[in-house]
Amino acid sequence: MFPFKIALQTMKEYRKIALIVTLLFMGIVAMYSGMYPAFKDYMIEMMESGFAEGFSFFRGAEDMGSYIGFLNIELYQIFWILILGILVGFISASLISKEIEGKTIDLFMSNPVSRKQIVFEKYLGLIPMILIINIATLVTIYGITLAINEEINPVYLVMTHAASIPYFLAIMSIGLLVSVIIDEKMKASIIMISIVVGMFIFESISLMVPDYESMGYISLTHYYNPYGILKAGEVDGAGIVVLIVISIICLILAMLYFERRDIPIS
Amino acid sequence: MIPRKTCYHLSLCFLNSSTVLNKSHSIRVAKSRGFTRMVTKLFVCPHCRTQMSFKGNPGERLQVICPKCGKKGIASIPTGQTKTTSEPIGDAIEIKNLTKYYRKIKGVEDLTFSVKKGEIFGFLGPNGAGKTTAIRTLLGYLRPTAGNAYIFGKNIRNAIVDIRRNVGYVPGDLNLYNHLTGKQFLNYFMSLRNTNASLLEELLKIFEVPLERKIKGYSKGMKQKLGIIQAFMDDPELVIMDEPTSGLDPLLQQSFYEFLRKEKDRGRTIFFSSHVLSEVDKICDRVGIIRDGTLVALEDIETLKKKLGKVIKVKIQEKPETFEGPEDMKIKDGWIEFVATDHVDYWIKKLANYTIIDLEINKFSLEDIFIHYYEEEAT
Repeated sequence: MFPFKIALQTMKEYRKIALIVTLLFMGIVAMYSGMYPAFKDYMIEMMESGFAEGFSFFRGAEDMGSYIGFLNIELYQIFWILILGILVGFISASLISKEIEGKTIDLFMSNPVSRKQIVFEKYLGLIPMILIINIATLVTIYGITLAINEEINPVYLVMTHAASIPYFLAIMSIGLLVSVIIDEKMKASIIMISIVVGMFIFESISLMVPDYESMGYISLTHYYNPYGILKAGEVDGAGIVVLIVISIICLILAMLYFERRDIPIS
Repeated sequence: MIPRKTCYHLSLCFLNSSTVLNKSHSIRVAKSRGFTRMVTKLFVCPHCRTQMSFKGNPGERLQVICPKCGKKGIASIPTGQTKTTSEPIGDAIEIKNLTKYYRKIKGVEDLTFSVKKGEIFGFLGPNGAGKTTAIRTLLGYLRPTAGNAYIFGKNIRNAIVDIRRNVGYVPGDLNLYNHLTGKQFLNYFMSLRNTNASLLEELLKIFEVPLERKIKGYSKGMKQKLGIIQAFMDDPELVIMDEPTSGLDPLLQQSFYEFLRKEKDRGRTIFFSSHVLSEVDKICDRVGIIRDGTLVALEDIETLKKKLGKVIKVKIQEKPETFEGPEDMKIKDGWIEFVATDHVDYWIKKLANYTIIDLEINKFSLEDIFIHYYEEEAT
């Protein structure tokens, strides 16, 4: 017997969303990397004219003209770190809050499951979605890259995606923590989106203004640098550790808080 | 030194205010001696209504200072009935001084009663009396502010998951997963319980629901039926229900009562809240009446009716005021109405001196009992 029934149910619940998001990202990835040959000359020209300076709030902006630099900005910085981050935050922040708001939690909790178990398994149930989107996107990028005769190191590509998993796990943990505290689904999700976008902006400011460099430390994005990995295979080991520690701490906090709180009637 | 008057006043108020409240304030205990069996008691300051808790031995009197208004006083810890160590067995539900406050708003206060194994227990009270709060505290949705409760001898504070293995629950505000079909829903819940759905087939015969349809399309009655099915399907020892018959049509209610009686005969315990008195009258062995968060009556329905006596309504030719009835006698539209406890004979003989136009002697109905307890509050 499969022990994680709640996780399994959560997976089932989100399979449609997972499928849609996966297809969406495959489409976006295919479009951007497929577009590169058409943009190539234009991009190089632009880089020479100092255009990239305006993008200094993205890591790796100085290399926008190359294929990898282009992928980094257009895909990883915007769609991966920011958009997918928002999406994962949005979903994770609704995991518990929607059950409380919809009052389905009452009947759910009448089963012999502990509150900690509920939080933990809901978390587990969301992980497959992250993995599937990662794998599908990775394969698509590699396929398109080969098709347009560009070069990318497949090992670095896998590493880039693998290193993004702790980043998303951390976002999920924070989202879940928000979810157990805030009873309204929409409110929880909006708060979480603000957190993700806020962190992105903090990191951007820290990159643009050297005086504010330390501001980036409070941002999760600071600990995941797709450009460095994709270009040279430089994995920020300490960053990964930080992300994993944040994931664990927030998950434990969420479990403890949920264990102690009252489940309101209305 | 505390002025004698204040001291007296405070101690009186503290004693009257019984147990309460949240742990947000804990009072400074000015004097304390070696404790052997410390208990925590919660009180309300009679001056500023601040809630506070402190520890002491049963029977002990403590000098206390209110953390907010600074008034000094003496508070006594009640003796007896505050044992927290003994875990009673034998009763299905054992509630001891259970108190739940939502911050400063009272939910239930100092509830103490038990539900015996194999009985149908009706938990009565109007809307907002605290029935749902009591049930939800009992089932671990809300943390008790004070007091304890045991289900089959297990403490709800630390063994709630274990308790739920043997307890079915039908919430008052029933909400199901709309995106699942009835069947998927039942399967999911069965998988979480890890037992056999031994009663499922029987239940589906009584409560027909369109299992293949998504719950989103269910009517209120269908949802309620599904709620009842899931509570009973794995044949739990105890089922707790919060107004279970709301949304069921009268025919279905009858089959439901029949089903409950059958369950009782099989030794199962049923605890349910209701404000429909006729159904409680019909199927319950015992009732608890809750008013404003406090239990005001706990009795066998029959004993309750007997104890309260008969309602005598009489119309006489003479002026109604000339009849010397008991203190609680009422005169309404020319009818004299009063309650006779054990002394029916006495009153009939007394009435024999008058010319009787009309006479009614009735047993107390549950409605009367209910009104009786609620009127008490007004007077």
